[in-house]
Amino acid sequence: MKKKRDWGYLGSLCISVLLAFVIGAVILAVAGFSPVKAYAAMASGAFSSARHIGDFLEYAMVLCLTGLACVLGSRVGIFNVGGEGQLLLGAVVGCQVGVWLNGQSPWLAIPAAALAAMAVGAFYALIPGWLKVKVKVNEVITTIMLNTIAASLCQYLAKGPWKNPNKNMVAATAQLDPRYWFKTLIPGSNLSTAIIAAAVVTFLTWYVMQKTSTGYEMKLTGQNPRFAFFSGIKTDRIVLACMCISGAMCGLVGMFRVYGAEHLYRSSVSNQYYFEGLTVAMIARYDPVTVIGLSFLFAILKIGAQGMELSAGVPNQIYLIIQTVVIFCMAAESGVFASLRAGAQRKKARADIRRKEEESHV
Amino acid sequence: MDDIAVRFEHVSMAFPGVLANDDVSLDIRRGEVFALVGENGAGKSTLMNVLYGIHAPTDGRVFINGRELTDHSPKAAIGLGVGMVHQHFMLVPSFTVAQNIVLSREPRRGRVFFDNAAARRKTLALAEEYGLEVDPDAAVEELSVGLQQRVEILKTLYRGAEILILDEPTAVLTPQETEELFAVIRRVVREKRMTVVIITHKLYEVLAISDRVGVMRKGALVGVRDTAQVDEQTLASMMVGRPMLYDKLEKTGTPGEVMIEVKDLTVRDNRGLVAVDKLSLSVRAGEVLGIAAVEGNGQSELLEAVTGMRKAESGAVTICGHDATGLDPGAIRALGLAHVPEDRLSTGVSRDATVTDNLLTGRHREKRFNRFGFHQRTSTIERYAREIYEKFDIRGSGTDVPVGDLSGGNMQKVVIAREFSFDSPVLVVAQPTRGVDVGAIEFIHRQIIDRRNQGCAILLCSADLDEVFRLSDRIVTLYEGKITGEFTGEFSKDEIGLCMTGGQRDKEAAS
Repeated sequence: MKKKRDWGYLGSLCISVLLAFVIGAVILAVAGFSPVKAYAAMASGAFSSARHIGDFLEYAMVLCLTGLACVLGSRVGIFNVGGEGQLLLGAVVGCQVGVWLNGQSPWLAIPAAALAAMAVGAFYALIPGWLKVKVKVNEVITTIMLNTIAASLCQYLAKGPWKNPNKNMVAATAQLDPRYWFKTLIPGSNLSTAIIAAAVVTFLTWYVMQKTSTGYEMKLTGQNPRFAFFSGIKTDRIVLACMCISGAMCGLVGMFRVYGAEHLYRSSVSNQYYFEGLTVAMIARYDPVTVIGLSFLFAILKIGAQGMELSAGVPNQIYLIIQTVVIFCMAAESGVFASLRAGAQRKKARADIRRKEEESHV
Repeated sequence: MDDIAVRFEHVSMAFPGVLANDDVSLDIRRGEVFALVGENGAGKSTLMNVLYGIHAPTDGRVFINGRELTDHSPKAAIGLGVGMVHQHFMLVPSFTVAQNIVLSREPRRGRVFFDNAAARRKTLALAEEYGLEVDPDAAVEELSVGLQQRVEILKTLYRGAEILILDEPTAVLTPQETEELFAVIRRVVREKRMTVVIITHKLYEVLAISDRVGVMRKGALVGVRDTAQVDEQTLASMMVGRPMLYDKLEKTGTPGEVMIEVKDLTVRDNRGLVAVDKLSLSVRAGEVLGIAAVEGNGQSELLEAVTGMRKAESGAVTICGHDATGLDPGAIRALGLAHVPEDRLSTGVSRDATVTDNLLTGRHREKRFNRFGFHQRTSTIERYAREIYEKFDIRGSGTDVPVGDLSGGNMQKVVIAREFSFDSPVLVVAQPTRGVDVGAIEFIHRQIIDRRNQGCAILLCSADLDEVFRLSDRIVTLYEGKITGEFTGEFSKDEIGLCMTGGQRDKEAAS
């Protein structure tokens, strides 16, 4: 119900990003690189060719979907750190469904794979959700541990039962029939028609969260679960549903990665991508629209940094430094504001007492 | 001044919006057990927190053993010989008894390392000296509440306390543990000439343990008596006081059908103890049933069980003729119940949500607020919220701000506005005016009586007895989860005060 943009937030975000670039520049200079040349290489790494633009758009899609999955959990008061596992499982199962259905029409195989990936992601998120709701087990711990299990399970499947028939391929499943691949939109890049599906999913998530009475119930549940329960909302059911949808979205991202870019399952379908999405969600303070915007920014930085490494020889870890400094500044910003506000409140309370005292003496 | 352990000189303590202590002057003698009684919010704990240095008084002076407490901090008060055992214990659950006792003044080996052996030795010596037996190696989390309290007392003694403040020490104890505690108190007073200040609600305990008793009401000390010269009756009427002068509320109509029926209800509290004990009551349409009880006697758990916030162990609840036992709050609301909860911050509102969102909850699924059954009609919702906002005279900076920005009284009005606007046949109202200013109290009282006159069945519970007296058609007193008395028509307030503090029950047991 708020229409005004939060200008204070936008301002401090801009300052944080600028500061991050400045600190990045200092580090580059200390390391013996020219910051100007490095940043120029970064910009051209992201924008110089259609292929790079395609790559950063694809990565923005991944960040946006995983970030929104995280926002969805946080909306009902759950911190889903298990998206990486849900993503990997969605990727491997989605891929294998495609392999099994080999020869069938793509109109059957692709929806079946998407549904399977979503189902497995949802199920994998349901486990910690259920533990949280029924036995009050902290979801952060369970989801982190489930990540490790999922990663190992996927490795096992890709090396064992679902192994690629080609002996030279280690730890990968069989390749999908090219008919099932999402059509590449920019030749040579990872960008495929999956981004259209992703845009639809993004819109739906935003719509449900911001515009519907279900989103309203989610918000109340996250803000004060006791109040939500008190006012008649079935909070357990909402938390479980959100957890499932969050997991399903992660599973779907895995499937998009396989059908759009990798065309078979191997561990490179995700290199801790969920955690980068989670970072974006945190910087965006779990606001869906901001997540969408920031996904593009961080995708540009990441792909640009890779280009910079190739052309200027600057290690792409500079991307991580910039990202970390932004997080750091944003966290510090809220801390600084909170302490300023608390100080003002204390002052006001003291003045109130003094005024009351004076009145009572009159 | 030599035999005066504590002296309060014109002490006042103001919090934003409340005068918690109003010009209190009091001497507590060395070597006596002084009981401080009063209703909730009468200012007992605040006064003791001033003594313990937690609050700096807004006005007045405090002397401990003849020395003025100038630096208002617990550290300074402890230095002057004050020890306090809070209602909620301040212990480290995973530490042993000995470790907890020496905490903050640990014996060390080589100035760096914690000397566990010395800690055990000191604990045992202390326990021996005061006759307070404890196992120094037991982890505190494994001890019973009574023993944890004993550890708290030892902790204050270890720090050299001569003046011991006990804030409602028996609230968490079983009768046997209470007896043991009293034995300990008598011993330290007799043998060590310690001074003990005990805050309590239970009048028979005052008579059993104290030498003198001070009664507080609405922040002021209304009297100090020698315990030998008072009985429960006198104390109860001092505590309750004369009713405040309000306009008379016009009550019309006659009670109709039974709308709330509670039968043999047993409910446990968070600690697993029986809080409501096979209790039965009923409320009719057009009637206000008031529950008068000192906090912690099962009234909160009773209301939570009736409204679905807590599962009952046994018994049945019927709302508007439908079985409501074991349903969740949503389902019970659907039967026709609305609920003003006792704690508005944790239960009654979502502080971060806007006033609009808070007013909407519970009816957000109604057709008029949703297009196609799911898309929120923002403008209809906002218009509705503004209408309620004005009707209930909520004062703040509009419906668009978070409820957390409103004052306590206006936040309460948001809760009242939302719950009363359901026009439900049944209302459960707890602490409707806690922390609310006088003008708003009058408004809320009128709203409650209006609903009553329209035929709503109202179950009311309040720590403010005047409020219960003013609004109720019928009053039941609760003590330790049981109904100890029922009053209609003309009743004596002293008698109600007595039933609330377990007085009548003791008499019954005696006869």
